[in-house]
This record gives sequence, structure tokens and C-alpha cells, in this order.
Amino acid sequence: MQTTFSKRLLVVWLVLVSLTLAYLWIDHTVDHHGSPSPSAVVTSSVILIAVIKVRIIFREFMEVRRAPALLCRLTDAWLVIIAVSLLGSYLVGVATS
Amino acid sequence: MTDLAGAGSPPHDVDGRLAAKDGDKTAKFVPGQPDMWAFVLFETLIFTGYFSVYLFQRAQHPESFLHAQNQLDLRIGVVNTIVLLASSWSVARCVEAARAGAFRQASRNAFLTVVFALVFLASKVCEWVLQIHRGNGITSSEFFTYYFFLTGIHFLHLLIGFVVLGVVIYQLRSPARRSQNLIETGATYWHTVDFLWVLIFALLYVVR
Amino acid sequence: MSAAATHTVTPLTRPGGSPFHRIGWHCRHNPKRELWLAWWTTVVFYQLFFVVFFVITRTQPPPNPGWDTPRVVQWFHNHHNGLLIGFAIMFVITGMTAASNALIAYSMRRMSVSPAFGYSYLVLYSLSAVPGMLLLCLVLTVGALRPDRDPELIQWLYDFAFLSFSGTMGVFLIGSLVWMAAILIDKHGVLPKWFGYLNLCNALTEVVVAPAWIFHRGVFAWNGLICWWINMVVFGIYTGAFIVLLRQMIQREDFGTGPLPDLATTKELDRSGDAAVAR
Repeated sequence: MQTTFSKRLLVVWLVLVSLTLAYLWIDHTVDHHGSPSPSAVVTSSVILIAVIKVRIIFREFMEVRRAPALLCRLTDAWLVIIAVSLLGSYLVGVATS
Repeated sequence: MTDLAGAGSPPHDVDGRLAAKDGDKTAKFVPGQPDMWAFVLFETLIFTGYFSVYLFQRAQHPESFLHAQNQLDLRIGVVNTIVLLASSWSVARCVEAARAGAFRQASRNAFLTVVFALVFLASKVCEWVLQIHRGNGITSSEFFTYYFFLTGIHFLHLLIGFVVLGVVIYQLRSPARRSQNLIETGATYWHTVDFLWVLIFALLYVVR
Repeated sequence: MSAAATHTVTPLTRPGGSPFHRIGWHCRHNPKRELWLAWWTTVVFYQLFFVVFFVITRTQPPPNPGWDTPRVVQWFHNHHNGLLIGFAIMFVITGMTAASNALIAYSMRRMSVSPAFGYSYLVLYSLSAVPGMLLLCLVLTVGALRPDRDPELIQWLYDFAFLSFSGTMGVFLIGSLVWMAAILIDKHGVLPKWFGYLNLCNALTEVVVAPAWIFHRGVFAWNGLICWWINMVVFGIYTGAFIVLLRQMIQREDFGTGPLPDLATTKELDRSGDAAVAR
């Protein structure tokens, strides 16, 4: 039983690492002109990937997956709050600059 | 942070659990004290506030932020994130091992977490020193103000995390003291340090 | 009553009648009257604090550190009467903080932890009031007293006042950590663990204020979004929480030496009239 669980955690870690490495790929492909430029698309997708990683950490590492429905809904609600605040403040900033 | 050692939970401990046996996998439980979850969610809101302020300011001055951000090395950030994710993995393994009664393994995993945390700590300090040597201090540009502020406040949480891990290891070392609830509570705190870094890394190093 | 009581206790029955009669009875007979006095003093103090700082003197939210000297002199001029009257009130009521600190220290004495926690909190918070609140009151009063003072001096007083008020939040930091440690170690369940962690949040926001010493404008200035506004929200929640929790602690208090009974049990005993625990 223990081995099955530890494999799961390892797989989760590998998924998170690959999502992190995906940032390197994004960084590489976006800067093909040599100098970086601001991009709302890149920023938004980076933020969304980060929020997905946080959700994986919540559900797998922090065991929310096996928690009562209240905690599941609460953490999901929090993720929505985070995503909306981050994307919202960024996009409002872009719109008013 | 010691609990009433197994003798019964305080009245307000909602989902207090004893160390689960193997059949209990389908039972729903709150990992650690619900109080710690309240703290985690509250801190997350505060950090989200800080992040939102940063992103708004960034969107207002994209070029200057981008120019300063170029001074950071994305690869260091990636390595930092992978190390901290590994520390989350090891503390999750620790909780799992403790739950199954394998306390020596749990102890090893807890120590491993501390090692990963120390690697992160050393890397952060080196990075700060490097940036300061290059002339990028907290007042040199708006981006670096946010950089030092966010990584600084996260670093403080990391230091508190060492105390928390210390409590977890202290619990694991003696049969008389072990409280699964407290170990899970400590792990919950540590995962928070991790996911806050995931967000900080994305916002400081990767975002354009 | 406490399990160690050896004398027979005649249960106290609360009287009915007019509010004055009831209050009078409580002042004479309620065993928790000192605790309630301390609690009400705390509540009244914070209300007055809010009115003095936010309404009369309008020193909170703080004015801009980035202003030039003529603008600062203008600010003193606009706030002249408010500053003098508001802070005069403040100097009279400052003593009320003693009740607040005492009640919090009492909560630690009721816990299963060493009395050192309560005593160190008392010392720390009593001393903290000097840079953390009184200096601002004194200095701004001095500034308002003689409006025709040299503008450079007035600017100096302005900086001194607001930096000492916002920037020295760290003096409250250790006190918060002491209370947090006491709550987390406590086995009597006097205050819930989540409030212990909230003390940590409060302590951390006090660290976040530190950049106010460096920045004159923007979100990290002493009036900034991060250093003041977000901090104040956390502080407000924290203060509201401990006022409510201390009230519950007093309601639950049984003057014993063991775990504090929880609120539901206390209310039931109250209703049935069995216990001599009078509210």
C-alpha cells in the first residue's frame, strides 16, 4: 500500500516539475527576437499555469482530494479568487496604462 | 504547538483524527488542524493582495519592469521551484509514512525536507547577493523593490517553516509525543510555503 | 465553580428589573465584574481610538510622506483644531490600554503555560505604546501648538510623528509572538488555535511595514497600499477577533485550574441555573 502511494506522490512531483520546465519553453519561444517584450497573452497563460500547479499541490500534496467537500470547495473557491485577482489587476492595469 | 497528546481532543477540534489504519483510505478527513487551514487561506489572501498590487503596477510600466526583470536568471528560479516542490514531496511522504506507523522513514523524510529547504535558502541568499553586487538593490527600480519585498516576505515564511519542521521532527522522535494531527498540521504549513513560491516565481521570473 | 471549592455555594440568580438595577447588581455581585470592566474598557478604548485618529484628528489614513514643506505646513494648518482636541482626548484615555493589556495577560495566566508569557506580554505592550502611539500624539500636538514655527521644523515633526507611528510597528511584533506561542502551547483551550495563527499574521504584517522607512511614495510608503491599507485590514480583523474571543473567554471562565469549558456547556449551565457561574 505504501509503495502505491509514494509512486503517486512522485508522479505528482514530476507533473509539477514539467509544468515548471514548461515556463522555460515559453520563455525561449517568446523571446525569439532577442529582446523580450510585454505580452498580456504570455502573462495570462503563465498565471493560469501557476494556479493549476497550486491546485495540484492542494489536491495531491495537501490531501484536499480526500478531504470533506467543504474544504474541496473552499480551496477551489480560493483558486478562483487568486486567478480573478491576479488576472483582473493585470488586465485593469494594462487597460488603464 | 503541542496537542493534548492523544488523550482526547479539545472541544473545538473539529475533525481530529487518530493515526489511521490501512482500511481508512476512503474516509474523508481534514489533514491537520482546521485552524492551520484557516491560517493558510488567510495568508494566501494577503499574498494575493500583494501580488495584485504588483501586477497592476507592472501593467502600468511594462517596459521598465521588463528591463529590470531581464537581470534575473530564469534558470535559477526554475531550480529553486523544483527544489521546493521536492521538499513538498518529501514532507508529504513523511506524513504518509507517519500515518502508516513507519516513524523512522518519516523522520528521514522530514530531515530530507529540511535539506531541500536549506538548499533553497542558500540559493536565495546567493541570488540576492549577486543582484546587489550588480547594483540591483531594493531601491534601484520598482521591479526590484517588489522582487526583494516578495522574496523577502516569502523567505520569512521559509524561516518560520524551519521552526515548524523542527516541531514535526520533535514529534516524530519520541513515541510518547507523536501526534499525527500535529505532523499533518506542520506539513500543511510547509506546502503553503511551497505554493506561495510557485506563484511568486511565476509572477517575478516568468510573467511578461 | 471550581472543582476545588469546599464551601457550599448558593447559586446567584440574576435579578430582573430595570437596566440600572441589573447593572448595579452585577457591579456588586458578579464574580467576573473586573473581567467585564476590563473588557468594556477595551471596547470603549478602541471605539474612541478610531474616532480620535480617523475622525477628529484625521491622522489615519496617514497623509503623504512625499509632500514638500509648504504642503506639510498646509496640512498642519488644516488639521490644527482636530489635532489639539483629538490628542488631548487621547492623552486622557491612554490609561485604558492598561485594561486591554491586563485582560490579554490574564488570558495567558488562565492558560496552562508559564506565567512568564503573561508578564512579558504586559511589559512589552505597555512599553510599545510609547513609540507605537504616544509619540505621534505628542509630536503632532507640538507641531500644531505653534503654527508659525519654522516650516523645516514642522516637516521634521511630521516625519518623526508618522515614522514613529507606522514604522515602529515592530515593537508590537514580539508581543504578538509571545501571545501566539502561549496559545499554541496551551492545553486549557482558552483561545482557539486559529487565533494563535492569526497572531502570526499580525506579526508578519508588522514586518511588512518596514519598507516605509525607505520609500516616500508608492505602495511601500507609510500611507501606501501595502504598508498601510492591507496592513490595516489585517489589524482590524485581528482586533475584532480578539475582542470577541476575550468576551467568550470571560463567559466561559470558571476560575478553575483546568481546561476552560466551552461556550455551549457554559450557556447550558447558565440556563439551567445549576452553576454559580453568573454572566
